[in-house]
Amino acid sequence: MLSTRLYEDFPILKTKINGKRLVYLDNAATTLKPKRVVEKLKEFYYTSYSNVHRAVHTLASRATVELEESREKFANFLEVSPQEIIFTSGTTMAINLVVVSLLRSGLLKEGDLVLISLLEHHANFVPWLRLSRFYGYRLEYIRPSGRFGTLEMDDLMKHEGKNPKVIAITGLSNVTGQRIPFEELRNIFPNAIVVLDGAQLLPHERVKPKEIGVDFLAFSLHKMLGPTGVGVLYGRKELLEQMEPFLYGGEMIDRVSLEDVTFNELPYKFEAGTPNIADIVASKEALAYLEEIGFEAVHERVKRLTQLALEKLLKVDGVELYGPLDERQHGIVSFNIKGVHPHDVAHILDQEFGVAIRSGHHCAQPLMNLLKEQSLLDFPNSTCRASFYLYNTEEDVRIFVEGVKKVKEWFSR
Amino acid sequence: MIYSEAILDYANSKKFRGKVEDASVVEEGKNISCGDEITLYLKVEDGVIKDARFEGIGCAISQASASLMIERIINESLENVESIVEEAEKMARGEPFDGQKLGNVSIMSDIKNYPARVKCFLLAWKTLKEALKKISQS
Repeated sequence: MLSTRLYEDFPILKTKINGKRLVYLDNAATTLKPKRVVEKLKEFYYTSYSNVHRAVHTLASRATVELEESREKFANFLEVSPQEIIFTSGTTMAINLVVVSLLRSGLLKEGDLVLISLLEHHANFVPWLRLSRFYGYRLEYIRPSGRFGTLEMDDLMKHEGKNPKVIAITGLSNVTGQRIPFEELRNIFPNAIVVLDGAQLLPHERVKPKEIGVDFLAFSLHKMLGPTGVGVLYGRKELLEQMEPFLYGGEMIDRVSLEDVTFNELPYKFEAGTPNIADIVASKEALAYLEEIGFEAVHERVKRLTQLALEKLLKVDGVELYGPLDERQHGIVSFNIKGVHPHDVAHILDQEFGVAIRSGHHCAQPLMNLLKEQSLLDFPNSTCRASFYLYNTEEDVRIFVEGVKKVKEWFSR
Repeated sequence: MIYSEAILDYANSKKFRGKVEDASVVEEGKNISCGDEITLYLKVEDGVIKDARFEGIGCAISQASASLMIERIINESLENVESIVEEAEKMARGEPFDGQKLGNVSIMSDIKNYPARVKCFLLAWKTLKEALKKISQS
């Protein structure tokens, strides 16, 4: 299935960057969109757009049906009930929803223990940290002890028996690309509410939350070929039913009197206001596209490109690579060049080679501090990050590595 | 290409790096999105910047900008420095600016073509502006 077709499906790949072919390696930030998704948006706005759930006219019915089809598609994908699929604006909002709603409903309270890891990006770090100050639950960090931010099984096991109320952890680090053995979480913490941040994981891997005993799973569609502004939160029904809503307003209510309100049924209880209708509708096309290509095929290609990039960069003197560097590293290669700031690397790769990578702290400052402790370079508080997806090729990796070598030469004159 | 030899030379130059021990004002600046930091030391006497240095980490653009800035403002009156900052900001925004006033700083005028890097260029200048505010308040 994976062939030249991909090139045709992603028109933006034909864009020239300073006269060079675009080599897009910023997929961990966001992915490019296939024609199918963009066309769905257009078609929906031209033929079926309306608000959903409220009105009885034809367009409202069409829009509602389309939106609920999206919900069903995601429910089937995760093998959960549509009632357990909540549409949010993205992973950040989904995780904020979980933290706030658990607190408001008393499922998480003063004195309880919450475990998070130092690998987390800010979306799964700041809400837990900040709200602990207002609600008095205890926060403990799982520190990765492996090379450059690599989380080892022992690091998880150290917290066994602590009986945390919640463990919230990423499935795949957005900095080191390490795939976390999240299947083990349920066994290690049998009584905890398990929150899996799937923002980086779901683009690469089909996850079945019920099979592995995950209570909440959050991810964003824009990182898996879909439009921006759409996130999916899976929540286990029994928990969602006990939870107080995150946002109050239209459509999430049942009855409103002057004294109090009762709430709508799941999942609408958690979807206040007018949702991001067209983008949610188009999201199902992104998932359909990925399923057509096949998650296994995507996984295999990305795996090959990641290993190739690691292998090639390991041979370049003065390049420091972060993360595990073994089969656990998937889709993301994070590195620094001795004496060159990541912004300069990214800027020159773009200008001279048409290669788009990310540079910065990747919204993961606690992890940056950890990398700094171990770095043999004058660590610049940030890294360069190349991240791969299904439309990338071995030629892309070659151009990227050549670019890295040139940047190194440039700065060592 | 913004990474000319001249700019890289300024970026690597140690001439204006370090502390001014008897500084009249010390100001810290930060670019939140990239974690770049600068500490700017100014020694002011009779309304004139007698000495200046900077410490910090950052990309070549921010380091070159800081070096060029300090080279330009030493021995200038505070009044002049204020107008130099204004011209540097205009240059970064791509507006017409007084090249004579900026002197060597104008070798970075191409920065206007790289919106994502403008904040790297401006870090030192923003910090200088804050330092000037402190001086005028004291």
